[in-house]
Amino acid sequence: MNFSKRTYWLFLFPTLLALLLVLIIPFGQGIYYSFTQYNGFEVSAFVGLDNYKNLFSDDQFVYSLWFTAGFSIASVIGINVIGLSLAMLVTQKLGRISTLFRTVYFMPNLIGGIILGFIWQFIFLKAFTGIADLTGLDIFRGWLSDTETGFWGLVILFVWQMSGYIMVIYVSFLNNVPKELMEAATIDGANIWQSFWKVKFPMIAPAFTISLFLTLSNAFKVYDQNMALTSGGPFGSTEMVTMNIYNTAFKVQEMGYAQAKAILFLIIITFISVLQLYITRKRETEL
Amino acid sequence: MNIKKLWIGVIALVTMMVLAACSDESDDSSSDNEQGEDEVTVELFNIKVETTDQLDSLIEDYESENEHVNINVTTVGGGQDASSALQAKFSSGDEPSIFLLGGLSDTEKYSEYLLDVSDMESAKTAIDGTLQGATLDGTPYGIPLNIEGFGWMINKDIFERAGVDPSTIDSYDKFVEAVETIDSQKEELGIDSVFAFSAMEDWVVSQFSNHFTAPEFDNDVNVAYEADELQFEYGERMKEYTDLINQYNYQPILSLDYGTSVEELFANDRTAIIHQGNWIVPSLNSIDETFTQEKLGILPLFTDSDDEGYISAGPSWFWGINKEKDDEVVEESKKFIDWMYTSEKGKELIVTDFKYVPAHEGYDIESITDPVSKEVYEMLLDDKGRVWAHNQYPDGFFSTALFPEFQKYLGEKITWEEFEKVAAEKFKEMR
Repeated sequence: MNFSKRTYWLFLFPTLLALLLVLIIPFGQGIYYSFTQYNGFEVSAFVGLDNYKNLFSDDQFVYSLWFTAGFSIASVIGINVIGLSLAMLVTQKLGRISTLFRTVYFMPNLIGGIILGFIWQFIFLKAFTGIADLTGLDIFRGWLSDTETGFWGLVILFVWQMSGYIMVIYVSFLNNVPKELMEAATIDGANIWQSFWKVKFPMIAPAFTISLFLTLSNAFKVYDQNMALTSGGPFGSTEMVTMNIYNTAFKVQEMGYAQAKAILFLIIITFISVLQLYITRKRETEL
Repeated sequence: MNIKKLWIGVIALVTMMVLAACSDESDDSSSDNEQGEDEVTVELFNIKVETTDQLDSLIEDYESENEHVNINVTTVGGGQDASSALQAKFSSGDEPSIFLLGGLSDTEKYSEYLLDVSDMESAKTAIDGTLQGATLDGTPYGIPLNIEGFGWMINKDIFERAGVDPSTIDSYDKFVEAVETIDSQKEELGIDSVFAFSAMEDWVVSQFSNHFTAPEFDNDVNVAYEADELQFEYGERMKEYTDLINQYNYQPILSLDYGTSVEELFANDRTAIIHQGNWIVPSLNSIDETFTQEKLGILPLFTDSDDEGYISAGPSWFWGINKEKDDEVVEESKKFIDWMYTSEKGKELIVTDFKYVPAHEGYDIESITDPVSKEVYEMLLDDKGRVWAHNQYPDGFFSTALFPEFQKYLGEKITWEEFEKVAAEKFKEMR
């Protein structure tokens, strides 16, 4: 008993040390810096809660928060609807082809955000203009040059990247729905629509918990896609919170203030994630 | 009891790690000593991505002449992000021995590390005034990397085909006239638009603004650095130029990036005027060698007087040397920089290989191969160049204030008065 407890801590020690060094200490430092005026080199003054007070009168930051929230809602809905549809598609009994499709849909997720951003920048700027010239459809013209197209451009990019990943999660849950249940539903006279909504859907509820959590927190934390695709432009109107924080820290060189933004952002994300987990957990069905 | 043993374990582990680290270091030094002469390693932090290959081959030449010196180069992408990377290097304690400074604010930031370069050969031969951008309280802390000049880069061929002689443009009105003439013949000339101003790039906008802010700051980088306010003294003219660009530009102007503007439109004769500098020469050369020789020209802007045109030209980057390093490293760093700019071999490479406009005296003007770089060099010597005042804006001012507000004006979201007001307020706030 005694021995096992000691070994337990001994084996845990390297991990704890690593966590302490790379997570807990920097986190504590971060909180400290958020109360100071700090340029990355030296702390010039301790300003208490001033940084936090300034946050709420920083129009660009507040705008970024709302923009990110809007982006997250649009892309969470988009990713989950498309991810689930793709999952339904590839779980149909189509033999080898469905494996191929699974791979193809998953592929965008393997490409890094920066590269994806540049690929889509090319598509929006060059390919779309080409389509507009060919067809005369004005909807394909001037992408990324105003706020709306910038916003939808980012959503499309992110949905394209994440859908395949979320699809894989749904696929594994869909495959685990017991056949007997589906059979029973069919025997009871349920049509496809009913058996999906009344049987399959509740059965895959845990998948929603995971998928929503992943998409929501990832959507909030998007940076590289944003940087490569629009880099916040035009006129900072597609600047997400992470980019706003980065710019404050490394372009304006106000590390302390940026740290305060980051802490607030952390609180917001934690709150939303916990809330989301709480709500979706309650809806899960136990088999 | 348990806790005690745990602590013993921890202490043992830590001690082992420390010991391992120590023994590593002693191994290193002994292997160095075996070679007779001490090898010196100089860490160089490079920001000029476009000349990385040239720098590598220059260093190779240097190392073959000086075998005991080993120069390691770290290159990080252009502009602001490179500054962050440099800062990260410093905060992590992994400071380079030689690094690039982007202006006075960098110089001040790293001043406790920077060596006074005034007794270096390459500082003595620097062209008058070029040390200014890295001089604090009369002490120079950096060696100018090169001269870069910017203004309207034009395609002379298109101008001539439209019946406009670029050399006759000697006032703002003539410039407008030329733009209108070219615009009226767009179809025949086969161009998409007269201008291809890339308003998607913050640095292009920042450089454009320099033509109007440099005279306000008395054309002096130190005045610009110390200025508490930006009043847009020449805002009226800046508005006129901006409106002119927006009217005759490739649209949508807000999503026009550098690549499309320079490599697609300008290099393929699809636009007549862009706002750029002589750094585009190498990339134009890689597309078509004859372009820079025959078609490329540079036109000044008319800011404070109607008939006196200026381009902006000056050193934008400075080599700083870290004095906190070991003495022999500092010594070798100095030797290397001196060699680069004052030895015959170094000079030759700077002009022919790097294709830089030199910031030092003692170079043969005729050895500058492309006409525009020569033109920039001559204009600088004729006092037709404005300093790079925009490098002395407060940190982050151009990318988080000037640029987005300028874009808002181009996108007709705000009026020019609002642009000036917001930008001026932010300038004051951020200084």
